[in-house]
Amino acid sequence: MDLAALLQELVSVPGVSGLEDKVARVAMDALRPYVDELYKTPMGAVVGTIKGHGPALVLDAHLDQIGLVITAYGGNGFLRFDKCGGVDPRTLSGMEVIIHGEEDLFGVVSSIPPHLAKKEDAGKAKDFRELAIDTGLSDEELKRKVKLGDRVSLKAYPAQLLNGLVSGAAMDDRAGIAALIRTAELLRDAECDRTVSFQFTVREEVGGRAAAATAYNINAHAAIAVDVSFARTPGIDHRDAALIDKGPMIGYSPILDKGLFDRMKQIAEEKGIPYQLEIMHRGTGTHADELTNLKAGLPVGLVSIPLRYMHTTVETVSLEDIENTARLLAETVLAGPPEGEGGVA
Amino acid sequence: MSLFEDVRVLCELPGVSGREGPVRDYLISRLPAGVSYDIDAMGNLYVEKQGAARPKNKVVLFAHMDEVGLMITYITEEGYLKFDEIGGIDPAVLIGRTVKLECGLTGVIALKAIHLCEGEEARKIPEMRELYIAIGAKDKADAEQYVELGSFATYVSDYVEFGKSLVKMKALDDRFGCALMLDLLHQDLPYDTTFVFTVQEEVGARGAAAAAFRTEPDIAVILETTTAGDICGVEGERRACVLGEGPVVSYMDRGTVYDYHLYSLAMETAKEAGIPAQTKTLVAGGNDSSSVQRAGAGSRVLAISAPTRYLHSPVDVLDKEDVLSMQKLLSVLLPKLAEQ
Repeated sequence: MDLAALLQELVSVPGVSGLEDKVARVAMDALRPYVDELYKTPMGAVVGTIKGHGPALVLDAHLDQIGLVITAYGGNGFLRFDKCGGVDPRTLSGMEVIIHGEEDLFGVVSSIPPHLAKKEDAGKAKDFRELAIDTGLSDEELKRKVKLGDRVSLKAYPAQLLNGLVSGAAMDDRAGIAALIRTAELLRDAECDRTVSFQFTVREEVGGRAAAATAYNINAHAAIAVDVSFARTPGIDHRDAALIDKGPMIGYSPILDKGLFDRMKQIAEEKGIPYQLEIMHRGTGTHADELTNLKAGLPVGLVSIPLRYMHTTVETVSLEDIENTARLLAETVLAGPPEGEGGVA
Repeated sequence: MSLFEDVRVLCELPGVSGREGPVRDYLISRLPAGVSYDIDAMGNLYVEKQGAARPKNKVVLFAHMDEVGLMITYITEEGYLKFDEIGGIDPAVLIGRTVKLECGLTGVIALKAIHLCEGEEARKIPEMRELYIAIGAKDKADAEQYVELGSFATYVSDYVEFGKSLVKMKALDDRFGCALMLDLLHQDLPYDTTFVFTVQEEVGARGAAAAAFRTEPDIAVILETTTAGDICGVEGERRACVLGEGPVVSYMDRGTVYDYHLYSLAMETAKEAGIPAQTKTLVAGGNDSSSVQRAGAGSRVLAISAPTRYLHSPVDVLDKEDVLSMQKLLSVLLPKLAEQ
């Protein structure tokens, strides 16, 4: 598998929260060769399963990406908008966007020309409600082509940086999706005889609402959420971030299963897979939080891919980190659940 | 090659102030047969085109080749590139953007993740000097293998036609003017005309001073882009000018008091010919005119510009209809200027 090409393909398809159909199709096609069973849930999530013995280990990554949503017609060919997920407001000025209306339309988020800039606003990012998207269309045509509620994705210029780093929009969490597809390939190659379910979830960026519903029909013994987390950049407290290209982050927090955490660390050590720790003192802000409450409760782990500049169009990840995430997950599946699974430590 | 194909190719080329070479080379490669050209010590490109007749007034057309951009000034221990801006850039338009470095590498400009910002910080647009370009270098030594101090970076922004008739790209200011001059050079002109493609406009209209000194125009016409503030929520005169309402003929801006008679002549000519034209409803901006007007013994200046939104950002936006009107206006106005 060409991981770089897979990731590029995944980020090239828009999937703003609530509008994940297209990217779901692409991810589903990419997963298909490696699983025995594949279906879509009523909410639009994708579940693929390698059938083996025992109940499934569920591996979760989310399909959706942050974007904008059209809230009003602004006149003169402009559209007013709000955020759909936590778009970084500091990046809005002059941002290029694609409006997913009747057809895909190009637009530009207006910036304020110098003669209109107010002194007191200098150095402050504009609020979502102060800005508008320039479509260049007549208002009449705009109303025909764009509905209120239509989603907007942020246009990126995906780029290869030095040392195997890649940047673009939606790396959060297509990097995780790519890692899971690669995991499935590794497991097929290893002739895996454990049951493992891959779930590609929807609407994570608007509050995380579909992870448990997606896993509902899976007979699961444990789950691991696979998302992105902060990689160090200038100005970040070193406790808050890992280093990019130094391996997946194995998460621990009061809500995560200590047994699973210990086991993944041990497997990484034994197999020589580079890893880092992400220690959190409360909920993790990922689907792990929701999956712990699945039905009667589930031991849940968290593996995160270090990512720089989260929620911008230049999110940056390391391909090597994605590969190592897949290796860690595959080895964890192959090791199987420990005796007396339950994970209470 | 159509005008907008030239626009696309010209805008694609990197050519920050002082480093206009790639733009100049392309322009030279596109010159028609039968014109002569020269390059001066600063890098200005002069093209002489013979017309059907000798003009009464020497008319010289100006457009600038340079674009705004960034210059690398420091490499941090962690391998990030610090920079200063070349020309006037609002730091807000840089955050979250991708840039191309002179060495060929791609870099990104971003900040500490928004999730980790507290209070005011989450809304703060930092000063230019706090920003940096990330190229993925492991550390300073790694970055130094590729990047030299003083080297430049330009925006990554592709050519997009959108809406009714809009065009988006970086550097439309003023590659669009260059393309317009190239288009004129490929036409039969009624009078001999001098074309100057200038350098260093964005850092103080510096090339144009030398170019005007050398060419001694009777009448200089500056072909430019000018800021349009006709965005959502802005009404009336604060818009300065409006896309789709024709080329902008200036009477005054922050750098120049234009020749009143030339301004009037241009507006009347447009009106008589039924060509849309407008003037600015604010005294704002500036261009090569300020230098040209005062060079040597001085000359009469006229500026005609395409109204352009989001100037000096990666997403300059102008209207093709305005460009077509500008071409029409020039075709009827230039002979009058030569004869006047």
